[in-house]
Amino acid sequence: MSGIKKPILQMAGITKRFPGTLALDQVQLTCYPGKVHVLLGENGAGKSTLVKILSGVYTRDEGTIEFEGRQVNYTNVREAMAYGISIIHQELNLLPERTIAQNIYIGHEPRNQAGLIDYGKMVKDSRALLKNLGLDLNPDDYIKNLSIAQQQMVEVVKALSNRIKVLIMDEPTSSLTQKEIAKLFEIMEQLKKQNVAIIYISHRMDEIKRVGDQVTIMRDGKYIATLDAKTMDLDDAITMMVGRKIDNLYARSYNKPGKEILRTRDLKGLRFRNVNITVHEGEIVSLSGLVGAGRTEIAKALFGYDPIEEGGFQLFGEEIKKPSPKKCISRGMAFLPEDRKAEGLHLLMPIKENIVAACLKKDFPNFILNGKTEQTLGELYQDKLRIATSDVDKLVGELSGGNQQKVVIAKWLATSCKLIIFDEPTRGIDVGAKAEIYALMDELVSQGYGILMISSELGEVIGVSDRVYVMREGEIQAELSHESLTQENIMRYAI
Amino acid sequence: MSKVTGWLKKQNIPGIVYGSVLIFLFFSIIEKKFFTPYNVMLIARNSCILLTVSIGMTMAVLIGQVDLSVGSVMSVSAVMVKNGVPLAAALMAAFGAAALFGLVNGILIAVLKVDYWITTFATMSIGAGLALVISDGSTVPISSKFLDFLGNGKVCGVYFLIVLTIVLTVLILFLLKRSKLGYDVYSIGGSENVARLSGLDVNRTRMMVYLISSLIAALAGILITGMTNSASPIVGSEYSFNALAAVVIGGTSLNGGKGGVAGTVFGTVLLRIIASGLAMLGVPATWQKVIQGLIIVVIIVADVSSEKKKDVNGLRRIYAND
Repeated sequence: MSGIKKPILQMAGITKRFPGTLALDQVQLTCYPGKVHVLLGENGAGKSTLVKILSGVYTRDEGTIEFEGRQVNYTNVREAMAYGISIIHQELNLLPERTIAQNIYIGHEPRNQAGLIDYGKMVKDSRALLKNLGLDLNPDDYIKNLSIAQQQMVEVVKALSNRIKVLIMDEPTSSLTQKEIAKLFEIMEQLKKQNVAIIYISHRMDEIKRVGDQVTIMRDGKYIATLDAKTMDLDDAITMMVGRKIDNLYARSYNKPGKEILRTRDLKGLRFRNVNITVHEGEIVSLSGLVGAGRTEIAKALFGYDPIEEGGFQLFGEEIKKPSPKKCISRGMAFLPEDRKAEGLHLLMPIKENIVAACLKKDFPNFILNGKTEQTLGELYQDKLRIATSDVDKLVGELSGGNQQKVVIAKWLATSCKLIIFDEPTRGIDVGAKAEIYALMDELVSQGYGILMISSELGEVIGVSDRVYVMREGEIQAELSHESLTQENIMRYAI
Repeated sequence: MSKVTGWLKKQNIPGIVYGSVLIFLFFSIIEKKFFTPYNVMLIARNSCILLTVSIGMTMAVLIGQVDLSVGSVMSVSAVMVKNGVPLAAALMAAFGAAALFGLVNGILIAVLKVDYWITTFATMSIGAGLALVISDGSTVPISSKFLDFLGNGKVCGVYFLIVLTIVLTVLILFLLKRSKLGYDVYSIGGSENVARLSGLDVNRTRMMVYLISSLIAALAGILITGMTNSASPIVGSEYSFNALAAVVIGGTSLNGGKGGVAGTVFGTVLLRIIASGLAMLGVPATWQKVIQGLIIVVIIVADVSSEKKKDVNGLRRIYAND
């Protein structure tokens, strides 16, 4: 079938180096008009880097891009757009202080004869585009007043407002509801009819067969294979993706829970309400749900980052009034943020200094830093958590994602905490290292720690949790024990 | 009454406007001579130079940066005017020098990626020094009918300076709201990343902003030369920070992407109202600075806390939409 049409896009021998890593190594990709090409691979496989090169965000070090039969060498987003290559990024790329219309037409605002921007036309055209996709939004509204899902749809409209020939969608469905996903797939069908080539990145395996025509599998920055989406075997694809059979990704010992550590009482905060949860010693408890369901906000409120509006919580039976990070740490709580590079680590400081960062007061009385204690603690945790480094004097920024996460864990263990809140514990960590982090989490609960985990990866939630609270729109919908955990069960309550 | 307050709420008027009105009323009540046509005109006239500089500064703040060199550019362009040098040549030299400052700022910040605080702080120092070098450190009287008209002339009973400033303000307001450059300024200030991913030429826009900011500062330097009929090498030394204060008081976010010229007008006028009122009450100049600083702190704290409330309300709304 693909033989009939000529490819619109051929990327070959694409190589991209970042300082210290080879992000892409001789990767190829061929797209046909009116077809959906799915990119499949783990985090860090290089999918996003590849599409960023295609959309002009990054420039390639080696390789060729052939577009409509001609070699092209653009170096920025503007030039790529001029060819009709548009991208919907994984993260939202909208300006909260501007209106929907201004965001849709950013960079190619319609002008009148005098060369001035014609806001009236912009609103009119935006309204037509929004209506075309069945979206009930006012183009004059500010982005900051929209929900995350609505913003995601504006992002789609923004990409469509260009004259597009190739549309790249980088995990567009991760924060959409089923209804909106169905809408998005309809739009994709329309685009296919208009002969647009679509490159689609998604982690949801069920979507691949539904929307895909071809599938290209990538691993560790390398091209592995291109398959026909309709006939390929999902298990084979996964094995190709991972590169080896992962037998025991999730090793759990499921201990009998001990004493109660955390209990919340009708907790209400910025994006959640009526939250009643408990965590016991020896338990991994997860908060599951879609992005924006209020999971992270609960953790932040517990740790004193965000205000608690109503209700309260107890740690080891003690009511914590007006929580602050300082107070929570001193009562044995630890928080590993989702964005460990920005919030969890000082990348340009040595490993050992990161490890003692949260426990300075206890181990270093009188505010005097003691290099020896620092070294001892650093080496102790390097050993305990198997942090792969020759020297704890090395900068954290030089470590891999998995080892960086271990340093964050070490930092909190050094504070003698008992309750650890993990927000997306394995985001951006490769599969081998994931297994190690899970093993570490299991080890910790076996030693009597309690873990509260927030994760968007269903596999992870199902694999490591003793209990799961499923959230939707700020409220807890269900509490599931690990025996009853299935993808369908969780999604039923999450959507 | 509730209709009026409801209408006011809908207009989304920044707190600064109410602050200006309140302080104006305050001075009007306690000082008879304050609210007189003469004094109002004086306040307006005294606002002109600062407003001119602040408008350029507003653009720099809107892209999320700051141009500290504007005061020194004022001084440099002021001392370009000399008796004996043809005025046209002097003006060309003034704007030429300003353009050079703008380009240097722009290239250092946009192309070489030097921090904007450091860059404009350095060019501020360079400009301040150059102005002294060029003028030999002395203030000289200038007799130019044209410059005198710019600074002190009247049209139909209104200072020409005021008319000129209003025209400039409207022009920049229009530029920001309706031109491609203005749109790009707001987009880049809102998020540099989004702007870049949307294909905007971030570097060129940045350079344009610094160029415009410098040229406007040169205009301010020339206007003040006309106003005082003298060219002083330190005439702009206080303007950088006063302009920044006017912009921030006017509600333009230091993070960029939010605010605009309208707020800056009120920020500037407010600063001048305070100065005028305090002077009338006989507060010594030394204390005026202290009081002015305190008032700025109060206004900004009030503004920040109301913004925070708005953000929380915004979050609630998003959440309710879900």
